[in-house]
Amino acid sequence: MSTILTIAADEWRFWMRSKLGAAAAFLAFILVATSLVATMNEIKNERTDRESLQVKAEGIFRDQPDRHPHRMVHYGHYVFRTPTPLAALDPGVDPYTGTVIFLEGHRQNSATFSPSYDGARAGPFALLTPALAYQLLIPLVLVVVGFGAISREREAGTDRQLVTSGVSPVTIWAGKTTALAGIGALLLIPLLIGVVFSGAVPIASLAFFIGYALYLLVWVLTISAASAWCKRPSTALLVLLSVWIGLSVLAPRLVASAANVAIPTASQIETDMDVLVSLRELGDGHNANDPAFSRLRANLLEQYDVETVDDLPINFRGMVAMSSEADLTEVLNEYAEKRMAEQAAQAKFVRALSIASPFIALQSTSMSAAGSDVQTHHRFLREAETARFDFVQGLNKVHIEKLSYTDDINRNNSEEASRKARISAENWRILNDFTFEPDPAKERIARILPTLTVLLAWAIGMGCIGLIGVRRLPEVDNG
Amino acid sequence: MDSAIRELRFALRDPVITLALIVGATLSTFTVFSGLKEVSAERAQIERVQQMVDNDRAYALEDQSDAGGAAYYAFHFTYDPPSALTFAARGVRDDLPWKHRIRMLALEGQIYETDAGNPELSRIGKLDFAFVVAFLLPLLLILLLHDLKASEARNNRWTFLSAVSGNGSRVLQGRALLRAGLLFVCVMAPFFIAATISAASAKSVFIVLIVVAVNLAFWTWLSLFITARVEVGPTAAALLLGVWFVLSVALPVSGKLIVEASAPAPKGGELLLTQREAVNDAWDLPREATMTPFYERHPEWADAEPVSEGFDWYWYYAFQQVGDQTVAATSEELHETVATRDRAMGFIALISPPLMVDRTLASTAQTDIASFQAYDRCVRDFHATLRDFHYEMLFGDAEYSAEVMEGLPLFVPCAL
Repeated sequence: MSTILTIAADEWRFWMRSKLGAAAAFLAFILVATSLVATMNEIKNERTDRESLQVKAEGIFRDQPDRHPHRMVHYGHYVFRTPTPLAALDPGVDPYTGTVIFLEGHRQNSATFSPSYDGARAGPFALLTPALAYQLLIPLVLVVVGFGAISREREAGTDRQLVTSGVSPVTIWAGKTTALAGIGALLLIPLLIGVVFSGAVPIASLAFFIGYALYLLVWVLTISAASAWCKRPSTALLVLLSVWIGLSVLAPRLVASAANVAIPTASQIETDMDVLVSLRELGDGHNANDPAFSRLRANLLEQYDVETVDDLPINFRGMVAMSSEADLTEVLNEYAEKRMAEQAAQAKFVRALSIASPFIALQSTSMSAAGSDVQTHHRFLREAETARFDFVQGLNKVHIEKLSYTDDINRNNSEEASRKARISAENWRILNDFTFEPDPAKERIARILPTLTVLLAWAIGMGCIGLIGVRRLPEVDNG
Repeated sequence: MDSAIRELRFALRDPVITLALIVGATLSTFTVFSGLKEVSAERAQIERVQQMVDNDRAYALEDQSDAGGAAYYAFHFTYDPPSALTFAARGVRDDLPWKHRIRMLALEGQIYETDAGNPELSRIGKLDFAFVVAFLLPLLLILLLHDLKASEARNNRWTFLSAVSGNGSRVLQGRALLRAGLLFVCVMAPFFIAATISAASAKSVFIVLIVVAVNLAFWTWLSLFITARVEVGPTAAALLLGVWFVLSVALPVSGKLIVEASAPAPKGGELLLTQREAVNDAWDLPREATMTPFYERHPEWADAEPVSEGFDWYWYYAFQQVGDQTVAATSEELHETVATRDRAMGFIALISPPLMVDRTLASTAQTDIASFQAYDRCVRDFHATLRDFHYEMLFGDAEYSAEVMEGLPLFVPCAL
């Protein structure tokens, strides 16, 4: 054990002396710290923006004057998804989905305004979140620092001296790995600080952090394995760089392309057109004379035992609005669920292939632990839809009960008649407060267990490869 | 000549070089052909959706008896067709809208609608030819060149090489150029085939060729510069990687932060909120509140107002337009900010060759911000002609009829 530590300490001294390792690690530290500050700041701004907009939107809705209730159905309302605390470290899909939805009658809107619309374009690595810094760049730093750990000794023949002096190859491997793991641990400090200060539920934070720690361990073991197998540091570097490009840059993009091919999704416009065709059969809820509502009319007339809709004790136009909103929502939900199912299947496809790349495994782990994955977004969409339906039907209920049918059908005859067809602004209080809570930590952890296992498997695999490689150590110096 | 052939034989016998060349060729082939496939899928989609929307409009117009109803139910499909070079550089095409289904209602409420795919896949990012050339090619070249001098020195051939050739550095430079040239051929050959299939213009192909060549020349020069000063291969590689990182990641990212801070954008979300409020409030406001600002914009209809207290289509469309007018300044500001930020990133690109390559390829493929904004303008212009067409019937003397509707403006993509 103490030999391992001696070797590790020795390696550290070498890095400090060679400047290169120290400089790389220092740069990485700066990088991570900067991205942490920048992202957390942005998320904080976004959070205050969203909160103020939410308050503003609710205030505006409640302050609307007396109106025809259906006007308020079209006036609509906003719901906001406030980011989870860990989203400051991994915003996940947030920059692509947007987090605000406009709720109105007869329509399911997607998120209103894509945050990437006005962003300056700075290439594929522009969204340098702390998550991406750890997923993509820290491994590269570790490669630069550690590729020569064992291969350097092999090239110089110093490994033979070590072995003849009684240090087993495995001990050498363990010492070098420990040294590199030490750098990894050091680089994890900013993340740890970020996680602690994010204010997330401890168990979710822990799972999140473990994901990153395991991931860096995979890289540490990969590096020491390559370093153990290669006779020359330059070969080790070549192998490691290729592995990095392959696993972290190419694999995720190939898997994403494959997911798109394997599970094709219809474009929004095409879906909208299909919805339109389905909706035509339902009738226009604004037109109570639409033949589609004759059955509703007949039922109501029979139920209340009256001759014409004018004699009904309730507002027939309101009934039509309510019933058609319910039918329409059913159709809309059917298509929305289909779309979400396709996206979820694509996400599942990517997760299944995470076995091919620890990068993919960590990305999924991180997003799910942070509550910024596509499943969480889908839940937000569903909850927003429930809120939409409730508020629209709430207004339709008021329409049915508080506005007389006669006033209603005459509303367009004069300004006076239009004023009579309004109801009191007090009714705008039907709005429920909307708050979106992230999934409970336990659920999130259950979701990340498979990908965490993948990371663990990679770590074990790389450890074994390293151990096998290092056993060939003493035979080298004549090769 | 003999020495060139000898060097070529050396190069092709080296497994590392062969591997790097195969990787380069594979990446290039994969990206250009998946790009072609995607573009043809886009074309097919445009045709399909065009057909759906046209059928739907014909169906909706059958039942209409006035211009108001016709404008309300008739949707139009607008799109930005992929260029012959889109397969190579997708630019902003995957995160900014390039197709819309619009009608004559307030445009600001429709034009920001983005038909985005699965956000988890968007997040991973696309692999296109431009990405390979701008960001991966330098890495492949670093792999090929970092060891040039060091491997000769390690094998104790450096002194020998210098002695026999008279100038060892000249030999190494030639060798570096040869390797870069081989990489160039491996990457460009699939591109040429794809560009021919897609019938890209000679000029655009030439620009791509120059961009890739200059890019390779820059990284070759940089590699030679560093390897000449740093004798140890791995150290040279680490240094080159550091430069790659600074140029590809650090500079663009910090440039983005600076650019965004110095050119603040109006909040798109608030623009939508304001516009919706303007449109919704109009229902309960006195008619003059809508018609006065409308006639200010359209003095030609100022005398035409038919008197009515109830619902009138002309009033409905007037407040749709006034809704747009309310946010016109903000919308223009947003447009300007996006353009300003893009120009500023152009300056940042002057110190970041990878970003420069990425931007030049996107602009050649007409998938950059400027092309996106041109499409945006095109949709706005089309929407304006729709308004003009219907206003003749809503405000003017023209009567609605099937014959008049045959003159309904249809969207035609604007030439860039």
